[in-house]
Amino acid sequence: MRAGRAGWPDFDTALNTVAMCLLAFLWALPLLYAIWTAIHPAAYETRFVLTAPLTLDNFAKAWAAAPFARYFLNTVMLVTLILICQFVLCTLAAFAFARFRFPGRSLLFTLVLLQLLVMPDILIVENYKTIRAMGLVDTIIAIGLPYFASGFGIFLLRQTFMSIPRELDEAARVEGISFLGLLWRVYIPLAKPTYLAYGLVSVSHHWNNFLWPLIITNSVETRPVTVGLSIFSAVDAGIEWSVINAATLMTSGPLLIAFLLFQRQFVQSFMRAGIR
Amino acid sequence: MGVIKRFDTALIASAVMLGQIATASAVDLEFYFPVAVGGKAADTIQALTDEYVGNNPGADIKAVYAGSYQETVTKALTAARGGKPPQLSVILSVDMFTLIDEDVIIPFDGLAQTDEDKAWMSSFYPAFMENSQTGGKTYGIPFQRSTPVLYWNKDAFKEVGLDPDTPPATWDEMVEFGKKLVKKDANGNVTRWGVRIPSSGFPYWLFQGLTTQNDVILANSDGNQTSFDDPRVVEALQYLVDLSGKYGVMAPGIIEWGATPKAFFEGQTAMMWTTTGNLTNVRENAPFDFGVGMLPAHKRRGAPTGGGNFYIFKDSSPEQQQAAFDFVKWITAPEQSAKWTIATGYVAPRPDTWETDTMKAYTADFPPALVARDQLEFAVAELSTYENQRVTTVFNDALEAAITGAKTPADALAEAQQQADAILKDYR
Repeated sequence: MRAGRAGWPDFDTALNTVAMCLLAFLWALPLLYAIWTAIHPAAYETRFVLTAPLTLDNFAKAWAAAPFARYFLNTVMLVTLILICQFVLCTLAAFAFARFRFPGRSLLFTLVLLQLLVMPDILIVENYKTIRAMGLVDTIIAIGLPYFASGFGIFLLRQTFMSIPRELDEAARVEGISFLGLLWRVYIPLAKPTYLAYGLVSVSHHWNNFLWPLIITNSVETRPVTVGLSIFSAVDAGIEWSVINAATLMTSGPLLIAFLLFQRQFVQSFMRAGIR
Repeated sequence: MGVIKRFDTALIASAVMLGQIATASAVDLEFYFPVAVGGKAADTIQALTDEYVGNNPGADIKAVYAGSYQETVTKALTAARGGKPPQLSVILSVDMFTLIDEDVIIPFDGLAQTDEDKAWMSSFYPAFMENSQTGGKTYGIPFQRSTPVLYWNKDAFKEVGLDPDTPPATWDEMVEFGKKLVKKDANGNVTRWGVRIPSSGFPYWLFQGLTTQNDVILANSDGNQTSFDDPRVVEALQYLVDLSGKYGVMAPGIIEWGATPKAFFEGQTAMMWTTTGNLTNVRENAPFDFGVGMLPAHKRRGAPTGGGNFYIFKDSSPEQQQAAFDFVKWITAPEQSAKWTIATGYVAPRPDTWETDTMKAYTADFPPALVARDQLEFAVAELSTYENQRVTTVFNDALEAAITGAKTPADALAEAQQQADAILKDYR
């Protein structure tokens, strides 16, 4: 009995570790397969021989199939633009909802929350009409515009701001600080983990967004990488897994690398911000 | 609010003025195209468009890659509903009824003024025009059109003592050949199947080959009546199911489209049914001698057509529509369509393309390219109705249910017919 009891925690840890490794392996499997096919000739797509010759041809082929350099630039500009606008707009709105009392506040906040319930795809035609009336079809701003005032971002930041102790707020006010100063010196620094977490969600979402950019843009100068990637999904001619996987790795590479570099911060900020 | 509104109107007004200035010098056209056969097709369309614009300073055409067929129709419809349609787009021929229903396209008849134009409109293969005309009007001009054919592995045929130059000519022969071609390892696992008829995603298309061979048409030309529960359709589905079940010459379950050419190259199947759009791919990648033949016959020969047509959109100026018409006329002309066919494997849509020197040189070097053309004589329109997405989904679900064994062919098809009737009754 005694020996058994002493042995339990170890067994428990071992079981946890094994399960964790197994899940991690399952999760990483598609990625590992993508890497395998991308660095080997097409003949080894389904044959796993350790001595298979290595090659970078697939990447070269994928790179040549579409103007990816320009697409990358567009995507980076797009996600940066969206992120900056979202941070500014959501911060101001969230601050107002969290700390000011004004008529219609709860009604307005309900409207913001309603945005979370509407699938963005339903709004495609209406958004298109608006963008067209503004004369912005086929611009990078047009891809981002519908996402600037993010209901999710406002909600998340408002919750964070409300959890910041009143005492800090009041102490700063006693010092005679302006509202913007208050926001800048007290609220934003304390909400950093939330910004980081929300930033990651926003960047990865807009990096991967496909349908709306495809519809609203017409030229190489405005299109993001996902549109370039879709050229490989040609079912009629049979799918070339090696090239398609090379292209996928290429387009998701920057995000993957960023995640691996900032992994610890991301995980911690997610824990603190309460998004899971 | 007032200020914003005034600002808006000013913006629109200036946009309209800009538009007018532009049309005064050259006609601006937007042309959406999908790609279903890999990156090379996009380059070819771009090159052809550039060539046309270079020779016709009066037209400024912008070719816009719009994703897959599905994404292209979504993009074009969104733009049309948003009030800024492309003037021209290549969209699946089966989407004709949807586009008419949405009232976004115009028939070509009104734009064909001279006798030459009219002659041009009747210069295409009738099999392709079946999907392009309704109610006596022509709404689509065939461009990237295809039809399924049978590819077979000559080495495998030789290995089991079949004549490597003769593909199966009938359903019974396909089973008989298939049984010889199936190869099993010591444990009884199949290492090579006899035949592969892909059924993922849109099983109705290849299945339509079987129904046509069994002498039955799935939908009428008005697009409001289907015959899914016809006994001949049931019989065709029974044959497809039996290929995996009773005869054991095809892998059971749903068979992937995308993986089919690969399975053929790797010798996992000795024959495959797939689109002519694959011809160039197979030619470049098959590590053995292969043959291309018509689909086997039963009561008759038969195959569906497939692929995309040119459509001209409604909400554009008469000058733009005329310029779009001229461009379509040019790009479907023999020399241009020969280039297109050679680059992609799509079937050139009119007989005189095959008479050009370029095309003759190509077919002399690579005779299998002729098979699809010869099969056109027996081809019928791809299944297309009003509410096409919904009706084909119903039909696809029924086919998949029968293929996976969830329902018997007769039950699945009877249900599909009921659902299709419910969807289509408003259009009768």
